[in-house]
Amino acid sequence: MKRLAGWMLATPATLMIALLLVLPVAATIGMTFGAPGAGTWGVAQPYADFFTSGFRRRVLWRTFEVAGWVTVISLAGGLVTAYVVSRCPPRVKSILIVLAVFPLLTGVVVRSFAWLVLLGRQGMVNNVLQWSGVTDAPVAMLYTQGAVIVAMVYIFVPLMVLVLVGVLENIPEDLLQASSSLGAGPVASFLQVTLPLAVPGLIVGAVLVFTASFTSYATPHLLGGTRQMMMGTLLHQQAMVAFDWPGAAVVAAIMLVVIVATVLLMTRLARRMNPMTT
Amino acid sequence: MPKFKTLALSSLSLAALLAAAPAAAQTFTISWWGFNGDKLQAIIVDPFQEICGCEVVFETGNNGDRLNRLQMRSGAGVDVIYLTDSFSQTGIEQGLFQPIDRAQIPNIDELYEMAQAPQGEFGPAYTIGRIGLVYDASQVNPPITSWSDLWREDLAGMISLPNITTTAGPMVVLKAGDHAGVSAYEDPDATFAAVAELVPNVVTNYNTGSEMINLFSTGEIAMSMTQDFTLAPLRAAVPTIEWAALEDGEIAVLNTLNIPVGSENVELAHQFINFVLSAEIQQQLAEEGVDAPVNTNVTLNEDQAAMWTYGEDNIARLQRIDYSLLNPARVQWLDLWNETFGM
Repeated sequence: MKRLAGWMLATPATLMIALLLVLPVAATIGMTFGAPGAGTWGVAQPYADFFTSGFRRRVLWRTFEVAGWVTVISLAGGLVTAYVVSRCPPRVKSILIVLAVFPLLTGVVVRSFAWLVLLGRQGMVNNVLQWSGVTDAPVAMLYTQGAVIVAMVYIFVPLMVLVLVGVLENIPEDLLQASSSLGAGPVASFLQVTLPLAVPGLIVGAVLVFTASFTSYATPHLLGGTRQMMMGTLLHQQAMVAFDWPGAAVVAAIMLVVIVATVLLMTRLARRMNPMTT
Repeated sequence: MPKFKTLALSSLSLAALLAAAPAAAQTFTISWWGFNGDKLQAIIVDPFQEICGCEVVFETGNNGDRLNRLQMRSGAGVDVIYLTDSFSQTGIEQGLFQPIDRAQIPNIDELYEMAQAPQGEFGPAYTIGRIGLVYDASQVNPPITSWSDLWREDLAGMISLPNITTTAGPMVVLKAGDHAGVSAYEDPDATFAAVAELVPNVVTNYNTGSEMINLFSTGEIAMSMTQDFTLAPLRAAVPTIEWAALEDGEIAVLNTLNIPVGSENVELAHQFINFVLSAEIQQQLAEEGVDAPVNTNVTLNEDQAAMWTYGEDNIARLQRIDYSLLNPARVQWLDLWNETFGM
């Protein structure tokens, strides 16, 4: 009876997930397969078309490249910031966390747009460069891969900080005191105690940032333009402008596979590298 | 019995709601861009609501978005759709529009010939525009006089082109074919070799008119290719902007009105199109800086005419594009374009 009640309570949520998530995703993936007799690759022809196009392969690779760089830089920046924040007295800590999270309160479009203003030919960065004599003429910074990476790092570092502060706070103070009493300096303590214990958090943060950067649309659209197309912007172009829904579905399916593979791989890695489980 | 009371009250209100529904005003849905909203409300929407006794509602967005939405609803949900001719041709090919009954739109006879039946039995054009080149005269010297100036070496890193997916984008390809001395339809390889020669001059390609205006106003670009409706806001942002007088001619863009196959107010839709094409409305739209007139009975003074493609001679000089040729080619060009600009 209890079990039946449990099932019944779970039914509405299960139905919602099936109707609003599983079915649409299945329909999208179903759309990616061609007619059995079409082309040399049969039903997989749309995928063959994707991978034989130099442009589409370049977009996929660029998306990996940008998401990879954003993840690595956010990890480094987020770890240092989170370490400093977690060592502060409680009152300062809460102020710093609020400050770190503050950018998350505005939309991605607004934050990306701010970079349009900063990195433009007449923007603040170019003005400072010219005023200090580093360059004579404005440097073209917008619509480059660098601009996309810089803006995405700015967007995702707060996310990383939030994840890592929680992890670093939970590292027992006794362990650090023990390492220090055994003769380890601050650097050695950080590298041999704090960092290994923070690995699961680093991996969770990396998964979050990588998947969010891999699928992002607004930032590459605004700061990369058409010359720095990524998978999100390619998907939009295929569906909303070229009216090629099967082509867009192939892009979506490839993104889904990459993200699921990343999550599985990183989870396995996290389990293996977590010193608390060995 | 409070439960019974609640039930009875709900049933009563539901019945009242159902009874009231047929009495509500007829709804007439227009799909358009949403530009010049206040002026269109005053010139078109308010007077038309009085004539038809209906309530006018809108669906707004760019050509592609709106056509896509219409396609997803299999041509239903909209009574009249405003589109540029390249997108209305796509809609026609997708079977989304119904033929127009010209007997119900007598004002069509007053239009310039080019606007009467630009796409056969489907909708007429209500305005005519040009695609040409604009540049910032304070930065570009000597002035732009020909399409081939796009390839000028002194314009390196100064240009934004319309993306291939916009109305004006495919014209870049056609002009690149002309530059290479071939037909873009017959020799895409030579054409795209000429497009590739443009890459050093291009900062980025734009998708919307407002994006292009932003690029000018932030100093990212000094030249672009665009439709003439962007000229007024462009000059408001950058006063030194010039519309290039091209010796090799500009390209015509006709904005059309069509009735989707799923329209629930077909008769009213014909009435609306006739209303928009009347000399009186066309005159007001031109005077208020909304759209160039296509009704031959509209008369504009020199100042009013300066911003439009106005008069039979000017209209006849524009180059027409055959979208039944261009639209199929555009699918092939999309990949070549992406490979040229996105690698």
